[in-house]
Amino acid sequence: MSLDQYAAPAVHLMVNGQDMTIDVAPSKRLLAILREELGLTGPKRSCEIGRCGACIVLVDGAPINACLAMAYQCAGKHITTVEGVAQEGEGELDPVQRAFLEEGGFQCGYCTPGMVITVKALLSHTPDPNEDEIEEALSGNICRCTGYGGIKRAIKQAVKWRNGY
Amino acid sequence: MGANRQSLHAEPLVRHPQHAEEAWQMKRLWGATASYTAGGTLLRTQWESGLAPVPAYLIDLSGIAELHGIHDEADGNWRIGPMTTLTSCRSHLGLQTAHPLLTEAVRNIAAPSVRNLATLGGNIVSAVGDALPALLACNSVLQWRTEQGITDQALTEWLEAEQLQSAWKERLLVGIQLPRQTSISQTKRILAYHKVGRREAFTPSVVTVAINGQLGDDGIWRDIRIAAGGGQTRPRRLEHTEALLMENPSNSPSLAVVYQSLLAEFKPKGDSFASADYRRRTAANLIVSELWKAAKRLTEER
Ligand SMILES: Cc1cc2nc3c(=O)[nH]c(=O)nc-3n(C[C@H](O)[C@H](O)[C@H](O)COP(=O)(O)OP(=O)(O)OC[C@H]3O[C@@H](n4cnc5c(N)ncnc54)[C@H](O)[C@@H]3O)c2cc1C
Ligand code: FES
Ligand code: FES
Repeated sequence: MSLDQYAAPAVHLMVNGQDMTIDVAPSKRLLAILREELGLTGPKRSCEIGRCGACIVLVDGAPINACLAMAYQCAGKHITTVEGVAQEGEGELDPVQRAFLEEGGFQCGYCTPGMVITVKALLSHTPDPNEDEIEEALSGNICRCTGYGGIKRAIKQAVKWRNGY
Repeated sequence: MGANRQSLHAEPLVRHPQHAEEAWQMKRLWGATASYTAGGTLLRTQWESGLAPVPAYLIDLSGIAELHGIHDEADGNWRIGPMTTLTSCRSHLGLQTAHPLLTEAVRNIAAPSVRNLATLGGNIVSAVGDALPALLACNSVLQWRTEQGITDQALTEWLEAEQLQSAWKERLLVGIQLPRQTSISQTKRILAYHKVGRREAFTPSVVTVAINGQLGDDGIWRDIRIAAGGGQTRPRRLEHTEALLMENPSNSPSLAVVYQSLLAEFKPKGDSFASADYRRRTAANLIVSELWKAAKRLTEER
């Protein structure tokens, strides 16, 4: 058995709509690639063991902790960071971002990129979430300064804007 | 911080076998210098905390088609590929109906972003995962690629023996089978799953219990499986208590005896957050309260 044929080639990713091939170790963490190789500092570095949610990005539309995912696990996939959430060219914030801003959904803002991504993912499959669905979706995102009242208000406002009521 | 620390580790080489057989051959060849890698969520925690070294090789199982998927088989059994993510288990409508204990257990593991990576196979092989009590209560069978070919093994047996069998470390989990649930006439199925942690959600388990039973219209348990675990305790069936219940009508006085039996039978590991005694009592309370609720519902329906 020749084992070399199984080695991964350089990693090909689509990050915020841009196609790219990056020469990194296949076990390198997505968070390090985004922040250090690509200069995308929206995903935050905090616990680095999947516990706080500050680093969450979308991988093929699903929220994933970028501190857990390794480069090879993202090969060929679409990655969306908070920098890529707003519609390109429109110069406007996404309704989820605007709702966090207007409803006081953050204080220091460290958790906010992860929160915004998580809420984007939630609303993409559950456009009108109930309280339990919101709590489950947010269970992996920890905010240490705002309190969750403002965050939940922001989600409810984003739901209204998205659904046009 | 981890991202700084990463540069201190040698970078493991990642191999991507396309078939279970190739993956197993690789593990045989490289032994302890290689790790099968599923979602990598537990491995990452172990590497970061220094509980396990970063191995020289990662054997990535994600490209092996036969290890994926949830199948409702013709004989009524369910077969789940170990590489099925916890999210896929949780959202599978057929599985929710056939094995709600498992989908409820999975809902209680980590948070959605972790569940999108983490797999059922990784949870099982961890030997302390929160899916295990539910799988035990469903009488699950594990299918392994071993030296002898594909081997079926009851989950109860694997959990009891695994620590003592160093040769098993190279085995590849290739399937999880949940047998068809047979219904006994004039009984009601009672299912319960509880995970108690130090926070309400997204918390490591202090105690996890699962119950899968059939309570007769006469108040006698015709069939019951009870499993308990949590923390670093390997989950196991509480078979002595199960036998006791099937001998006695489920009513209040006998529940006191059942409670004592649970205290004697469940032997959890304590740690600096929760003592073994606390865990034992919590498990006994949870189980007895479920048995009491089942008996009460029966009386109300009569
Ligand atoms: C933030 C966070 C929270 C968590 N919370 C919970 C929780 O609440 N409850 C819980 O139970 N767990 C929890 N975990 C632990 C872990 O995420 C789960 O146990 C998960 O299901 C492991 O799956 P994985 O695919 O990531 O496994 P991996 O990390 O890839 O593998 C785990 C182990 O299984 C082995 N393995 C994997 N697949 C196979 C196979 N097919 N054959 C043989 N060996 C195999 C690996 O070699 C490794 O030893 C948490 C982890 C994190 C990071
Ligand atoms: S930095 Fe990834 S979850 Fe905390
Ligand atoms: S706004 Fe500061 S941690 Fe959430």
